[in-house]
Amino acid sequence: MSKPIPLIKLGDEEFIDPANQACQGCAGSIVARIVSKALGTRMVRQEVACCGPAFGNIRAPSIYAEVFEGAGAMMTGLSRAYKRLGRDDIIVTGIIGDGGTVDIGLQGLSAAAERNENVLWIVYDNEAYMNTGGQRSSSTTKYAATTTTPVGEMSRGKRERKKNVPLLVATHNVPYTATASVAYPEDLFGKLEYAKNIKGFRYIHISAPCPTGWSFDPKDTIKVGREMVLSGLWPLYEVIDGKTIRQTYKPKELKPVRGVLKMQGRFRHITDTEVDEIQQEVNDFWGRLTAKDGGPFF
Amino acid sequence: MLEIRFHGRGGQGAVTGVRVLATALYYDGKFTQGIPMYGTERRGAPVVSFLRVGEERINERDLVHEPDLVVVLDPLLGQTVPVTDGLKKGGLVLINHPRGGRETGLGGPFKVATVDATKIAMEVLGRPITNTAILGAFAKVTGLVTLESLEKAVLKQWSGNIGNVNVRAVKRAYDEANDPVDVSDVEGIRVRELGVMDRDVSSWRLFRPEIDAGKCVGCRRCYIFCPEVAIAMAENKAEINYAYCKGCGICFEECPVKAIAFKQEEI
Amino acid sequence: MNTEQWEVMVGNKAIAYAAKMARVKYISAFPITPQTTIVQYLAEMIANGELDAEFVTVEGELTAQASALTAAAAGVRVFTATSGPGLLYMHHPMHATSGARLPIVMAVVHRSVKGMQPDHSDMMAQRDTSWMMFECENSQELLDTGIMAFKIAEDERVRLPAIFSGDGYILSYTAEPVELPLQEEVDAFLPPYKSSIPLLPEQAEEMRMYMMRMWGFERDPQFAWKAQQDAMESAKAVIKEVNEEYGKWFGRSYGNGLVEEYMCEDAEAVIVAMGTIASTARTAIKNLRKGGKRIGLVKLKSFKPFPGEEFKRIGENVDAIGVIDRNVSCGSGGIIFGEVRNSMYDLEVRPKTLEFYAGLCGKEVRVSDIEKVAEKTLMAARGKAVAPTVEWV
Repeated sequence: MSKPIPLIKLGDEEFIDPANQACQGCAGSIVARIVSKALGTRMVRQEVACCGPAFGNIRAPSIYAEVFEGAGAMMTGLSRAYKRLGRDDIIVTGIIGDGGTVDIGLQGLSAAAERNENVLWIVYDNEAYMNTGGQRSSSTTKYAATTTTPVGEMSRGKRERKKNVPLLVATHNVPYTATASVAYPEDLFGKLEYAKNIKGFRYIHISAPCPTGWSFDPKDTIKVGREMVLSGLWPLYEVIDGKTIRQTYKPKELKPVRGVLKMQGRFRHITDTEVDEIQQEVNDFWGRLTAKDGGPFF
Repeated sequence: MLEIRFHGRGGQGAVTGVRVLATALYYDGKFTQGIPMYGTERRGAPVVSFLRVGEERINERDLVHEPDLVVVLDPLLGQTVPVTDGLKKGGLVLINHPRGGRETGLGGPFKVATVDATKIAMEVLGRPITNTAILGAFAKVTGLVTLESLEKAVLKQWSGNIGNVNVRAVKRAYDEANDPVDVSDVEGIRVRELGVMDRDVSSWRLFRPEIDAGKCVGCRRCYIFCPEVAIAMAENKAEINYAYCKGCGICFEECPVKAIAFKQEEI
Repeated sequence: MNTEQWEVMVGNKAIAYAAKMARVKYISAFPITPQTTIVQYLAEMIANGELDAEFVTVEGELTAQASALTAAAAGVRVFTATSGPGLLYMHHPMHATSGARLPIVMAVVHRSVKGMQPDHSDMMAQRDTSWMMFECENSQELLDTGIMAFKIAEDERVRLPAIFSGDGYILSYTAEPVELPLQEEVDAFLPPYKSSIPLLPEQAEEMRMYMMRMWGFERDPQFAWKAQQDAMESAKAVIKEVNEEYGKWFGRSYGNGLVEEYMCEDAEAVIVAMGTIASTARTAIKNLRKGGKRIGLVKLKSFKPFPGEEFKRIGENVDAIGVIDRNVSCGSGGIIFGEVRNSMYDLEVRPKTLEFYAGLCGKEVRVSDIEKVAEKTLMAARGKAVAPTVEWV
């Protein structure tokens, strides 16, 4: 079980260079900062195409190869090689976007999880292929406007619901699967601390709101992230060994989703009926999740 | 054939603006070739695009190296980007700037015209997207495109209210643009060009956060939420290193005791 | 050199032995006919302690290649193997491997991209990936070339990945006696592997500098391609050196490493072939020579880098060259045919050239077929009109 780490308990040392070429208010940059702070000098990363290289100011060595679908493969190669070299101190990590995880990278993800590769897979989920201008991914929320699911007379934005990949990974019975949010850093640091001290396939899926792609003012990045958690759109939980599930942050009552949806330009067009549909789904999932909280996952 | 270079920041609509201009020029019977420079076009990062204008189809496909005209959509860009590099002698710079052509920090054997496109955009559009305003000024100071064609092109790009509002921005900039002035005797500021290792993003800012140390309780929220790692803790107080601050405003928004003010940058 | 070790084995086993003797430490492969048994042999060798290596049963060829590349970057010698469509599936990361200058060695057991039987279309589809490509005509050559490939690829002057290949079914499942070198001798011949990419945590600063050099903003964007092309050129000398050295160590070498000229002395004409077709061609040429015909065989071993200078030299002394392509680039022609002609263009007097497609999708190529090819080439050498100059055998 992970335990949240209060911000004042964090060390002062940074393992990342300041200022990068990412957008103003980029949540992915915050993820990079938090992860590098948690893993320090033990990390060796692998990178694929995503916004990552734009905010790639983490100091630990990283290999970037132009194989977008290959995150799982590349983490595997690194991990096995370091094992051969007797370097069990190294934490092989990937800070991968949703695209490289849930779509083109899904096969590699599932296979690496199935083989229980000793790697830490971190997803920063900005709900689209943002690096290439914001095309939808299967992690995009329903009704969101993206460049490939624009809103018009014949279209209401993305037709499909957000694919639940954390639960999918958890059913591979890997040692650790968790969801997190940039807006809840104490929780995220706690999860990274837990993950870094165990071996095997670990997966942390982080909600990372994108001001550019979701159309909101950069100053609201954390606010939007927080409201997503408080409204149940992005519940925070962890699954250990595919056996037990625990919610790591549980507001007593959920705020209505309408609030956070209306904060974002990508939902500017959304009707009350559509909001209700999303609300229904959130309520339904929340009900099932809270019923399982603290008990068997499946 | 005329060659124009545009300097802007991601999010200011530089690429769309050039396309609108090219459409307007076509209405006026001119051929154009618009070349955007794609990189990781992040909101706030400097972007460049080129436009060639001629009486017949343009064949050369290389980049513009010696523009006749330079258009700059952001008043602070010239501090870190050499916007007048290659500009032909006797050429013209049109820059979005609140003051006159001799006070922009640009100097050399060319003329400078200004328009406060940011002010116009904020007042007419409510957002600092300066592309249409700058086009209105462009029509006025260069005479290369007619106002009528520009309006047509704007309405072709944006329909409904957005179109009308942008037309207002165009017209206002047309009226308020300052005439070009000679700056051959002006000492231009030294461009502090950023090398690959440079991490200075201060010129990205439109707004600037300021921490009141007296109010700061050392909770470290701004420290951990700053995407640029621009905030450090010193004796339990948060301090901003402005070289690394893009002015995103997260620290201002997240401070639980409202110890951070967020003010417009002075140009 | 010690010839006490030998075994009658199929080609796939010879390939497995090459990887084993090279002491690879990371193997990732996905089964595909006719490569599958290579992977199974290696799994067995690991399971009974004969080979100490990571063996990852990856979910697809793309992962086989992409994981091999990072394992090589991290610092261990790697090996993978595939055929036909599997090779196509890993095309994407193959460019990353060569781009990163990682000396991976991969065995390709030829399978047509249009069917299950062998032809060279699989390898040809990867022609431009900046991988070296060495073709083999029998199982012994597969074993020897596999070992040599590691040494060539890992040479400082080269640092490019390499494919060593042979025709599926014809070699993969056919049994032949194969001599095995002694492990100690292979160890002495092949030094340990070191990565040129600083990917350990303590190398963070070195890595930053490395990235600056690779992705540096002042760098000519054409730099990477030029470096790969230069490495391919340098590889020619290295291939010849390693071939000769291997001959000294183990008593076997293959022409000069790039080509082998068989019965070409005083030849009026030659035929050119790769792999098992070249093997069958030896008999055809011998037969014709018995009949007094002055015909020879040029066996092409190194397809990439293509030894244009060798063909230019050979072209000076013959009046006709018949090229047998086990591939066709539809819309153009046979790829080796094009390369051979290209290499001879600057000769004062150019030999006639004839194109023959043979063995595509595994069509049987018989001694008599090649005799006909050789006869036709001879006729062209004598100036007799020969039509057509493109023929499907």
